[in-house]
Amino acid sequence: MKGADSEGRWGRIVAFGGLLCLNSLGFLAVASDDVFSSVLQPTFKEKCIQCHGQDGKVKGKVNLLEIESQEDLFADPDLLADILDMIEYEEMPPEDEPQLSEDKRHEMVASLDHLLTEYVADKMVYVQAPIRRMNRFHYNNAVVDLFDLKATVFTLPERMMREHKDYFKPETGVMAETVHVGSRPLGKSQMIEPRLVGVAAFPQDLRAEHGYDNRGDHLSLSPLLMESFLKLSQSITQSRDFVPKYVGIWNSFFENPPEGVDPKAEAKTRLEPFLTKAFRRPVESDVLDRYVGFAHHQLDGGVEFTEVMKGLAAATIASPKFLYLYDDSAEGDASEAIGDIELASRLSFFLWGSIPDEELLEVAIAGDLNQSDVLDSQIDRMFRDHKIKRFCDSFPAQWLQLDRIISSVPDREKFPDFYFSQYRDSMHMMLEPLLLFEAVLIEDQPITQLIDSDFTYRSRLLQTAYGYEWPEDKIQLNAKGNPVGGEGASTVLRFDRMPVEDRRYGGVITNAAVMTMTSGPERTQPITRGAWLATVIFNDPPEPPPADVPALGEKPEEGEEHLTLRERLSMHRERADCRGCHEQIDPLGFALENYDAVGIWRDKYENDREVDMEGVLFRKHEFTDVIEFKDAILAEKDRFTQGFAGHLLSFALARELGVADELALDEVAEATANDGYRIQTLIKGIIQSEPFQSKTNPGTSTSIAETD
Amino acid sequence: MKSSRRNFLRGLGGTAVALPWMESIGMAAPVAGPAKRMAHFYVPIGVVRRGFFPGEQDQIIPKGNLGQVRTSIGEQNPNLIVKKLDALTPTMEPLEGMKDKVTLVTGMDRTFQFGTDVHAQCASCYMSSAEPYTIKGSAWPLDRTLDHLVADHVGRETPFKTLEFSCNPHQDNKESIYFDNVSWYGTGHLAPSIRDPRKMYERLFSTKEVNAYRDITDLVLEDANSMKRHLSYADGQKFSEYYESIRAIELQMNRLEAMRAELAQVDFDEPTDAYLPRGEFIRLMGDLMVVALQAGLTNVTTFMVGPERWDTPYMFDGLFDNPQSHHKMSHNQTTMIDSLLKVDKFHMEQYVYLLEKMDSIVEGDGSTLLDNTLFTYGSGLGDGSTHQYNDLPIIVGGGGDQVKSGQHINLPEGTPLANLWLTQAQMMGVPMERFADSTGLVTQLQA
Repeated sequence: MKGADSEGRWGRIVAFGGLLCLNSLGFLAVASDDVFSSVLQPTFKEKCIQCHGQDGKVKGKVNLLEIESQEDLFADPDLLADILDMIEYEEMPPEDEPQLSEDKRHEMVASLDHLLTEYVADKMVYVQAPIRRMNRFHYNNAVVDLFDLKATVFTLPERMMREHKDYFKPETGVMAETVHVGSRPLGKSQMIEPRLVGVAAFPQDLRAEHGYDNRGDHLSLSPLLMESFLKLSQSITQSRDFVPKYVGIWNSFFENPPEGVDPKAEAKTRLEPFLTKAFRRPVESDVLDRYVGFAHHQLDGGVEFTEVMKGLAAATIASPKFLYLYDDSAEGDASEAIGDIELASRLSFFLWGSIPDEELLEVAIAGDLNQSDVLDSQIDRMFRDHKIKRFCDSFPAQWLQLDRIISSVPDREKFPDFYFSQYRDSMHMMLEPLLLFEAVLIEDQPITQLIDSDFTYRSRLLQTAYGYEWPEDKIQLNAKGNPVGGEGASTVLRFDRMPVEDRRYGGVITNAAVMTMTSGPERTQPITRGAWLATVIFNDPPEPPPADVPALGEKPEEGEEHLTLRERLSMHRERADCRGCHEQIDPLGFALENYDAVGIWRDKYENDREVDMEGVLFRKHEFTDVIEFKDAILAEKDRFTQGFAGHLLSFALARELGVADELALDEVAEATANDGYRIQTLIKGIIQSEPFQSKTNPGTSTSIAETD
Repeated sequence: MKSSRRNFLRGLGGTAVALPWMESIGMAAPVAGPAKRMAHFYVPIGVVRRGFFPGEQDQIIPKGNLGQVRTSIGEQNPNLIVKKLDALTPTMEPLEGMKDKVTLVTGMDRTFQFGTDVHAQCASCYMSSAEPYTIKGSAWPLDRTLDHLVADHVGRETPFKTLEFSCNPHQDNKESIYFDNVSWYGTGHLAPSIRDPRKMYERLFSTKEVNAYRDITDLVLEDANSMKRHLSYADGQKFSEYYESIRAIELQMNRLEAMRAELAQVDFDEPTDAYLPRGEFIRLMGDLMVVALQAGLTNVTTFMVGPERWDTPYMFDGLFDNPQSHHKMSHNQTTMIDSLLKVDKFHMEQYVYLLEKMDSIVEGDGSTLLDNTLFTYGSGLGDGSTHQYNDLPIIVGGGGDQVKSGQHINLPEGTPLANLWLTQAQMMGVPMERFADSTGLVTQLQA
């Protein structure tokens, strides 16, 4: 954990820890340029430039010979942060090169940290989150909330887990023992649910290939899509289900005014709160006047009141003020605090995937939301609201990259048990980590449960697939006397909470879904698994391999049948320039070799060789079995916390993270650790962090280059 | 190939006739001849090299998924060769009757930019091929695609600047946008395609629905103006997509309105929601594309005959009894090569159907629609197993007296596909010196 010794822009002072504190204090006395010439540059020269600069060698495209002053480092803050990570996490120098002494390493970390803090305090530039239209998921939720619909607008396969029989009760703070769920992408009839008739979904916003599906660079508009939005706005309000029974705000918005009430005045009275809610900010008088003018014009033309209001509702949800998420332009080039109204929207799109409700918006409009106790109680309220399900429907599946399970097709001959009737076990598998996440979230459990949980949710099929008996007391018979949720279940699946007594299982890593989706059809892919772990768990995605390296075949080549997978792979990566990365990711992947390509435990390979999974995590923690591996990850739980916080912040802000975010993540991770790693503390920390409450949005073009 | 049900120009059936309304368009602009048009027919997942490429019929069949090979395993001639297109390979055999109106172009390459799935750049970067690693903040060498660059010049008067057709039959949205689109306004700015013939028909010929928007477009445009005042510089730039979209829709409404009388004479049965066998489905989409080009609804189209990758099987009616996955076949050439060859030939037949259709339509000055259309067949992969981005299968059809047809041009090793796109852009009258990673023109194609 990096000690943050800065005074935040808004006067936040953070305690810093022992050794770093002393070092940092020591450095505070000297000019930072001296830090560069006294500490960093000599070490670069002594230990680094041999591979990074000298004689034309620039491994990893890093040239430290070119860095001659603090300014040079500030000109490339990402490099500064990278060097800090490399040194702090002991990834550099490489294992077979002369190492830094412990003291030197600490001195380097403190110096780099000091520079980074100075840079951030000086520049205060967070990456800009670009304006973006709502994605389909947001749009659906926002329309439902705006009209208080009792049905969905359209069925979304991206909400991977279907809730049956209302198991999800966040207000209780407890997840039910037995839940009934379905898999939308892989189950049967899971797309059938109450929805407005005659409304066609606009094309799915397909998952961004990087980051989350709310990223601005993915969410653009085209004439065709705009036409869909226009069409949608009509088809929603003209649907034959758009009637009082399904529309919660019918009486307060669409219903004819009572006898004697002037329809024109009434239209205005009703439009003001409606537009305020739709646009998430107090409606400006000129905008309101335009909508009212439209109403007058239509009423004068003899259109029925309800129809006029439907027309206005259609225009409202086609308006850019509804469709787009954006912050107001900032005064200057630097980052500045967002206003309460912007905060309300960030908060609701983060946790509810939708527009703020009346209460949240009211608090924001009153200017109270920035008070930490008010914000705190609003977040608590949001955690307890059923709409938090939308967070569970969007973040965890994307964080875990769980959609990869949809296209996993293990070899039928090799893994016949993976298939049942016309379905795949993955239909059940994918729900296990999602249910675990939901339980951890609504029960406010520590995030270490995501690594090594003492409970899980399993269906009978899944329990059997893992090789366990289904507990007698959980067998439930249906009217025909057959066990419910048995092997053939494909629509409503019953999952039961059960303790994990065998630590090989439990958590989001060693479950069958993740193990299967990171495997090929015939064999495991340790490097894929390692890359998944580095990306998902530690938020440190490896660089893609060079183009000219062939992948290992699914089957061993002739003469290699007797080798273990690790031996085969090592023969295929003898190149020195590959080693740096593979030293990092391979141990992570090989550690999981006891799980076969469909996540089932094995001690031996098919050729009867013992699975060789031993390794060292981060060059620090040796492990000889997967339980020790989990212990090693738990020993690095602060690093996981930091990485997980980064995922959440990136999702929350719909943007990639930059150097300036790192210090805030340090603070969030530290506060989380101090509160027993509880997940709600972490999420609150994200919301209360400076980047969450800042924007970089210069009004002129001059400073764009800097935020790039 | 019968298409009687959808003979949109009555009396066509082999003899081409010019309709009165076509002439009226001609009269409105007496100086200019028929518009120059461009259409691209994209074939996913490459082709079986043995079946398609002259001289490769005896080469080794790639085994399994060689996704990391990304280069030919057989030999190709690295030198420039220009010769008459004579004996056709089995996959190209349907072209026999159109041999003098097409030119086979082999030896063109693209560069795969590392960092994405190997299929993810096949279609999505097929028509941009930006110089690798030059597009910031994206793993894709993807830039504004050829169709839009050309439409910026030749699409200014038509109701639709471009039209994007896709015959992707899948209901599951399994793959990302990069697998299902050849047409992009720019990096990260997709020009989405229409997969449903009914929706395309509605888009082309129905003005009644669009008129409902007229009332509200003014209102939302005013909202956009008031909103824009609050936006930062960068957001304001991106937000222009909203104005562009609304304006495009308004222009489209006005131009469709102006063409209403003429469009009313187009005799094209509204597609039903009845199931159509695969071939009929593709040809119906193709007919819609041809009528859009013919009627002046647009001058630039792209047409994906199927999606890239996508494992989910679908029916190739008439070829196989069960749904088949094109992608899976491509990875199993040693066992499924005959099936895959059938698919390749089937796609070629659809291309030829559209070539013939365009060739049968006579325009105001006596030339045919095909004479005035550069209609190019191509794939972003040279083979579905090796996943090679080099030696792509390309056929340039039509183009009239601008194009030297009836040839087989084999370009020297390493010739970027962008050279062909640059050549086509210039043929379309676009004053462009360089396109993406182009290094020159394909002069052998120029008449």
